[in-house]
Amino acid sequence: MNSIFKSLLSWLLGTVLGLCLGAAQAATERSSEVPAPLPWTEATWREQLKSGPRPAAYLFTTSYCSTCPDAFETLARYSEGREPKVALIPVMMDVGGVKAQRHAQFFTGLTALYAFDGFEPTIRQTIDPKWPNVTPYIVLVDRHGKLQHSIGPPNAKALKVWLR
Amino acid sequence: MHHGPKGDLATGAAFAPDGSLWVAGLNADKRLFVQHASGRPLGAWSEPQLLETGNDEIAADGESRPKLAFGPQGWAVISYTMPLAKPYTGFIRMLRSVDGGKTFSPPVTVHQDRQPITHRFESIAFDRQGVLHTLWVDKRDQPPKGSGVAYAGAAIYRNTSLDGGATFGPDTKLADHSCECCRIALASDPSGELQAVWRHVFGEQTRDHAFAKVNGAEPNHVTRASFDEWQIKACPHHGPGLAPSEGLKDPPGYHFVWFGVRKQRGQDVAAVRYARLDAQGAPIAQTVRALPDDKAEHADVIADGPRVAVVWRSTEGPRTSLKAWLSKDNGKNFSLTTLAQTDGINDHPRLAQQGSRMVVVWRLPQEIQVHELDF
Repeated sequence: MNSIFKSLLSWLLGTVLGLCLGAAQAATERSSEVPAPLPWTEATWREQLKSGPRPAAYLFTTSYCSTCPDAFETLARYSEGREPKVALIPVMMDVGGVKAQRHAQFFTGLTALYAFDGFEPTIRQTIDPKWPNVTPYIVLVDRHGKLQHSIGPPNAKALKVWLR
Repeated sequence: MHHGPKGDLATGAAFAPDGSLWVAGLNADKRLFVQHASGRPLGAWSEPQLLETGNDEIAADGESRPKLAFGPQGWAVISYTMPLAKPYTGFIRMLRSVDGGKTFSPPVTVHQDRQPITHRFESIAFDRQGVLHTLWVDKRDQPPKGSGVAYAGAAIYRNTSLDGGATFGPDTKLADHSCECCRIALASDPSGELQAVWRHVFGEQTRDHAFAKVNGAEPNHVTRASFDEWQIKACPHHGPGLAPSEGLKDPPGYHFVWFGVRKQRGQDVAAVRYARLDAQGAPIAQTVRALPDDKAEHADVIADGPRVAVVWRSTEGPRTSLKAWLSKDNGKNFSLTTLAQTDGINDHPRLAQQGSRMVVVWRLPQEIQVHELDF
């Protein structure tokens, strides 16, 4: 009886351990799926507006912005399954490289990741001179290139106009 | 002390009891250093003294910076947030000196809670009795994701040390529902008791400011200090400033600066605003006004008797200006002055005070500037 119990316990522990390791491995794989950030320079916005994807959403974020993942999720949920496919592009404004990738793990479904290595007010002035130091700052680009700006998650009306 | 394109310029500043001005920050190799300078006008900075922090990563950007505080008995402490591997998490760490800053101990974690969650954006101060207070933004009370229970923002937690940072009392909650990533401002009342003000989430998502006595007996005894009614689920990363208001003809209270967006004639108007708070922390309505600069960012306030200085940075094109708004009548009238300008990256202005002497420390990639505030 004892040996049966021990075998059962051993099998259970092994299964649980295996599941945990599997989950951990899956998490690691997911994090490695985040693409390396592309450099965001002062010229990038101009280029994106001229020849970037449409429709698209640019989410300007920072490593300390804990409200940003929810805002991204709102965009991802709203644009899921739409045709043409919607580009979702986070732009990390304060960290680059591995740190940017680490934070981008929260942005499930991103199309591309950018990182800016410069003075934050510069990027804000390029996008919108009236943008105060608040993230997320979101720019929605519709299929015709028309822009809508939003501090925090865009409201329902803005989302509707974006992908109509 | 040159830095890369971005650098980690966020720097703390404080006067030591002997009148020397100290700064703590990160060098180009991201190592913690202190430097000091003496005299008036200030002499040259000492050689940077590198401090041993083991493998700690140290936050030194924007609202999160190393901080210095000097206490009695030769005590000096340096605090910082150590980000952990998981985003938005961190520990508050502290180094301690018992010889006025000549040497420092290795860092220790200040709070008793050791979960890998948010413990960030700390503020430190010694009160008049020599008690060291540490306050920070803490997420231990957030329900697990998916639990269906809503909890807006984070919380403000605190503890005290009676021996200059050698040991710490229990973590206690000051208030639920703080904003997640703004600095906490501290100031003493006339009796020497510390008061705090921070960005707070009122209701579901109204991000205004709360004021509270640090050493209060019960949590959540707060006074609302601003009424912008800014409803936003976002991170302003733009904390307030607080200084005692002790003008001879006015009842004691506080000078308060903050950033917010409020509706004016149907439009959202973003501004850094100034107000005087009464002794309980409520704004005195007729004193509320916007700073004379619609690009003002990261303002702070400092005061000595009727002399009040509000200092901020303002960026237009490639140029950033360091500006001051000076009052000699306890905040009734101000005059605007530009202290310095630079092109490219720069830190937020940091204020330091010893009695009637008030200075602005402004770190650029190539130098740390100090501007005496002359009224």
